Amino acid sequence: MKPPILFILVILLLTSSCVLVKPYQRVYVNDREMKMGQLGAKRSDENMQAYREGATGGGGKKNSGGCGCN
Amino acid sequence: MKKRYVVIGLLASSLAFGQKGADSVYLKRKLHRTDVQALFSYYTQDNNHSAVTGGIGTEDLQVYAQDYSFTWSKDSIEDVSLEVGLDLISSASTDNIDDVFSSASRSDFRIHTTLGYNRHLKNSWNVGLNSGISAESDYFSVGAGASISKQSEDQSKEWSLALQTFFDDLRWLNAGKPRILIYPEELRDVEWFSIYKRNSYNLSFNFYQTLNRRMAFGIYPGVSYQHGLLSTPFHRVYFTDSSLKVENLPQQRLKIPIGAQLNMFLGKMWVVRTYYRFYWDDFGIIAHTAEVETPVKVSQKFTLSPFIRLYTQSGANYFKPYARHQPSQQYYSSDYDLSDFDSYKTGLSVRYTPLGGNHHPWFFNEIELRYAWYTRSDGLLANSITAFINLQSEWEKK
Repeated sequence: MKPPILFILVILLLTSSCVLVKPYQRVYVNDREMKMGQLGAKRSDENMQAYREGATGGGGKKNSGGCGCN
Repeated sequence: MKKRYVVIGLLASSLAFGQKGADSVYLKRKLHRTDVQALFSYYTQDNNHSAVTGGIGTEDLQVYAQDYSFTWSKDSIEDVSLEVGLDLISSASTDNIDDVFSSASRSDFRIHTTLGYNRHLKNSWNVGLNSGISAESDYFSVGAGASISKQSEDQSKEWSLALQTFFDDLRWLNAGKPRILIYPEELRDVEWFSIYKRNSYNLSFNFYQTLNRRMAFGIYPGVSYQHGLLSTPFHRVYFTDSSLKVENLPQQRLKIPIGAQLNMFLGKMWVVRTYYRFYWDDFGIIAHTAEVETPVKVSQKFTLSPFIRLYTQSGANYFKPYARHQPSQQYYSSDYDLSDFDSYKTGLSVRYTPLGGNHHPWFFNEIELRYAWYTRSDGLLANSITAFINLQSEWEKK
């Protein structure tokens, strides 16, 4: 198992480059489209993908088990 | 001099009383909130690689799904949620398990419900519990989970840890109770499996970080462990010597996904949502998922979100197409969901967000319509259309 090195480097770079955002500066990051995770209608896509693909997990609501999927 | 002290005294007392007066204007209000989410979707697919018929045969499938989620917040401390869903399934491949189901395509349904409880604690800690059931003709599942999360004081970061478990019974349901494992009709003279249960344990960690005024980042590592009957008892496998058996997979599986998300707000109307996931499991599947969604706020009320998703996976060690397995193999499957393939998904969602509706006890928070087109390199083609409605209500406790 070799996670891509570039992926790890980007994560390290991002987590080390954050700045303090004051409450009155949060108008963009608090926008609905900026929310993390799967939003609204996209949840049904995730369910279908869990049936049709081998991989699950990694941020969505759908986990292994509890269905007729792999 | 005395006059000066009297003036200062009067000023101080007026300020003190004035402050008290200002405080009394601020009333602590206890708000009840109800959030209702409804999801309706239609999914259709077709191909000729059904695992029920050993990697050949129709995969024609239609699913009409509806899902309702209710969350009641009686104050700012506690939330109770209930999710109920019903999927109506029309599957031509399931019709090929035996001759008993003589309709053109076998009809089935799946019901699922989950009850959750969430409590906000001091210092932005949050704990949650949930439990639920799910049933389709070929399984009955009981699930339970717990989570804990913490948000930083300045709201710039949040982490959460969740454990979700499922205890599945893969015997066929009859009159609401699991009875027997169903094998393909011509293979019922042998009891292929002595177990019928499958337990799944999913541990996931989420970490969110605001990077600056316009960027937010999340990382989602996890680990899942499953043990028990991981084979599907009505999947056929044909061998090179023309013999036929029921699919057989190892009785445990370890999965390790790690996802990362980076969202950026560009200008005043564009958001770019990016996602990448690396996945590994001990069946031999290594997968990469990359996704980009670019919501554009075309007006105050409407958002258009085109999206694209690319996925690739290496096949499980136990997969081979129709009649390619050697009879000497210990584990075997011709389920193309475990094969080596790439997939591509694209589509568009339109979201309507009414403004200023919160003067009424009930108001629409958002309405969304989403279409997706999906293709897999083995020839599978799918389409889905989904409608999502979010209603909210707020009222003051008397």
